[in-house]
Amino acid sequence: MKEPELVGIAQMAVTKAPEQICCMGLGSCVAVFLYDPTTKVGGVVHVLLPRAPQGAKVPTKYANTAVGKLLTEVLVKGARKEHLRAKLVGGAQMFPNLSISVSDIGKENCDEAKKALRQLGVRLAAEDILGTRGRSATFDLETGRVSISTAFSNSHFI
Amino acid sequence: MRPKDESKVLDIVGEFANVGAGNAATALGALLDIEIVNEVTSCNLLPLSKVAGWLGGAEQIVAGVYTQLCGDLRGGVLVILSGDSATSLIHHLTKEKPDLSKLTEIQVSALREIGNICLCWYLVAVSRMIDSDLIPAPPDATVDLLGAVLDLPLAHVGVKVDKVIAVHTVFKSFEKEFDGYFLLLPEEQMLDVILEKMGDGR
Repeated sequence: MKEPELVGIAQMAVTKAPEQICCMGLGSCVAVFLYDPTTKVGGVVHVLLPRAPQGAKVPTKYANTAVGKLLTEVLVKGARKEHLRAKLVGGAQMFPNLSISVSDIGKENCDEAKKALRQLGVRLAAEDILGTRGRSATFDLETGRVSISTAFSNSHFI
Repeated sequence: MRPKDESKVLDIVGEFANVGAGNAATALGALLDIEIVNEVTSCNLLPLSKVAGWLGGAEQIVAGVYTQLCGDLRGGVLVILSGDSATSLIHHLTKEKPDLSKLTEIQVSALREIGNICLCWYLVAVSRMIDSDLIPAPPDATVDLLGAVLDLPLAHVGVKVDKVIAVHTVFKSFEKEFDGYFLLLPEEQMLDVILEKMGDGR
């Protein structure tokens, strides 16, 4: 079988079955997956930060701009908006005792991604977020399932 | 950064990190009573998506100790130890072989302290060279996938920039199975000070 395409920080991938796409080692980053089961078109964006500052050049880096960008791209690839559902993975707090961190970036990333999904009218079907453990997520466009593994546990699906 | 300056900037920052890492290796060696040397410093300007790959892949399990500088000069410093090195260091300090998948509070504390010593000595050398105070916040430690460990440091430095300067210094011991590296992620202003003090105003 073909190796899944790796999607790094601030990157986006849009494709269709039978491809697989993967975000490895998600900590406070959030992977937002969109999938249309009828056309088997979907994609992911690997978000680093919650909100884009003024003049930001890379929309796929920030939750509030990345989700809309991903939506546009999957629609271009042939997905139908009424069939789309979203899954969220990541948003962990990797260094919870770091005294200088005033905010929990992982949680903020999740909140902003959810807000963007709501505003765009895309249903959130499943999530595996927050906590203090990193995750790797592999998205199978054939089944629409996301396989999630962590450093010290067996993988599970959402 | 202007493209023509890039390699020169990387040379200066690399040289700089080397001295810091040498100092940290000496301190860690004294703590553990073994000889530790730092070997290679490499320095690169990378897009955020490529940092984990440059360090060997997001999927490896590593121990990471991270702190941010909280004075005038901002940046992040991360100490990364391979899983085996973290196990042997914690074992050495606590006299108990740890299971990295479920570290006890004492073991996390030992790991944090190892990282703290490395970070502080690294920063002492660096701050002498640029004649500015670098004030680290108390660090935190975790054992997880490298990609996950890198996320927060990259998020902190990546707010304004899409490419980061990453400085990577390997340290190792010949007596024991032991290796790790430092990752310095200076923010723009800190980078300016480094370049200015090292005799290369831009």
